[in-house]
Amino acid sequence: MFGQLFLKECRETARSLIYWILVGIMLFFFATQLGETEIAREPEKGQESYGMHQSEDPDVIMRNTLGTLADEYYRESYTTYPIGFAKTVKPDKKEQKRIGEILEEATGLDQGEIKKTMEEYYGSVTGLVAEMPMEPVDGLTYKRFKELMKEVDELLGGGSHYGEQYLAANGIEPMTYEDAIKEYHLLVEKDGLSGGYARLFSDYMVIILGILPVFLATTREMRDRRAKMQELIYTRRAKSGTIVVSRYLSMIVMTLLPLFLLSFLPLAECIKVAASDGIRIDHLAYAKYILGWLLPTVMIVTAVGMFLTDLTDTAAAVLVQGVWWFVSVFTGVQGIDGGAYGWNLIPRHNTELNYKGFHDGFVQLVSNRVLYVSFAIIIVALTVGIYSQKRRGRLNVRGKILADRKSKS
Amino acid sequence: MSVERYWQIEKVNLKHNIPVHLLVCLALLCLSPLLMGVSNLEAEDTAKVLEMYVALIGIVLIPPVFLPEQNREIRELVGSKYMNSAAVYCIRLLGNIVILALFLGGYVWMLTRNGCHFPVVKYYFGAYAGMLFFGALGLFCYGASDNIIIGYMVPIFYYVAAVGSGDKYLKIFYPFSMVKDSLVEKGYLLLAAVVLAVSGIWLRSRKN
Repeated sequence: MFGQLFLKECRETARSLIYWILVGIMLFFFATQLGETEIAREPEKGQESYGMHQSEDPDVIMRNTLGTLADEYYRESYTTYPIGFAKTVKPDKKEQKRIGEILEEATGLDQGEIKKTMEEYYGSVTGLVAEMPMEPVDGLTYKRFKELMKEVDELLGGGSHYGEQYLAANGIEPMTYEDAIKEYHLLVEKDGLSGGYARLFSDYMVIILGILPVFLATTREMRDRRAKMQELIYTRRAKSGTIVVSRYLSMIVMTLLPLFLLSFLPLAECIKVAASDGIRIDHLAYAKYILGWLLPTVMIVTAVGMFLTDLTDTAAAVLVQGVWWFVSVFTGVQGIDGGAYGWNLIPRHNTELNYKGFHDGFVQLVSNRVLYVSFAIIIVALTVGIYSQKRRGRLNVRGKILADRKSKS
Repeated sequence: MSVERYWQIEKVNLKHNIPVHLLVCLALLCLSPLLMGVSNLEAEDTAKVLEMYVALIGIVLIPPVFLPEQNREIRELVGSKYMNSAAVYCIRLLGNIVILALFLGGYVWMLTRNGCHFPVVKYYFGAYAGMLFFGALGLFCYGASDNIIIGYMVPIFYYVAAVGSGDKYLKIFYPFSMVKDSLVEKGYLLLAAVVLAVSGIWLRSRKN
């Protein structure tokens, strides 16, 4: 029974217009975002540029961060990014005074010296003052620096350049040849070349998978009502769990199918480069990342779509998921280079490099993905409950069953 | 046909068809200070708020113009009436875009009161053009597919494509051009909005 229903649902999905629009969007997104990706070759000495990377050197992070803080303190205006949009924070006198004290402790300069430094800087340079580094005081440990910056972030209400999650981004600097070679070796040896590109593939595709499955789920759940088949299906012998779960799994499988097919293109590129450069490649990297990185997002978004549509008999799920997607995408911008995955529905890692960031954030990433899979399972169980209640004539906010019951009572 | 009859159609629209959508729009606008800065913004950041957030309410309010006749039987019944269904859609659409203009006006007024520095008239019309374009794109897709979900899906994907690729592929139809201090694209978006809305209504009316 379950197998039959599952296959039937897959066929239904394959016949729906919305599914092919979804596939078309995936193709378009893949082609525009990843179509021109070139597989990295070993860097050579004397290149004009080796790109940028996040320095892990605490001195670099401290210098850049203190430069930004001094500038914002001088202007008495701080920019935070709670969800990726700029928010100007103007602290009150007490908070501004405390930030000044923190800056004094971190730089060893008094208020007058800080003011003088900034005035000289503004007088002599045009451009982004945020790029002006400021030396930390001798003996300032990185641990104490992080404590001080955390306090500044709390005073500003979070989402600032000084939050622990975002400090690493302040250490961004141009890569030297040595840095580039180190990153390349990590990509080849630890990631088996394809791992880094599978991560980049996941980084892009997870953006649209944070919203697309909700359209498929909402349409599928509304279809029975539109075709006036709801009551007919309610009377069938199949258990509610079988109907809902087979539907859910079919949508998951049908959403993942184009992803697996698309992944063969960059994988083939990796295989080609690996063969010519004598690199041992991880052939299963894309499959692992699709299942580990993308599947949890597809699961939770599909579950939310089914649950809210079954509960309300409206397209409210699109709105709810739209808001969740919006907040997730723009919040994730600050961790775009990877490593800072947090609990975001859409974890970002917008580079094939930064294996170390991935490695360091791996436990957090796994926790994040497991959490969403767990939520998805719970939500699907709730959907089964709602579906079951509706079959018994309950919870029908706008259906005929409730109207019938009312007219009889 | 009297103005009274038009007003009657709009009153029904306001009372029965769009109250939930209006509440959603209001909620999105009222919640914005929790999500992003709406005070003391420079022109570029103000443009970002208007184009990338406020313009989204166009998707909420314009595609549902066809929703009351979603059911085919109702559509056939409406089609048999003396009044052309295209006229009913036009009245609803006009009502909704006037409401959008008022919402945007209120929001822009709030931004100016909160010390944001930006060219008010220029940004108002720029954001309005973007709002109408997103909504009209949804209306057209709904009219063409007879599926409200597709009516929401396509403009949302357009938004995602614009965020992801910038103006590389969308060129003159790039919806976030004010951030780059360009208003030329807004003219094309407005023109496209008119074409899409008219085509959408025409398609939907034919299906009756």
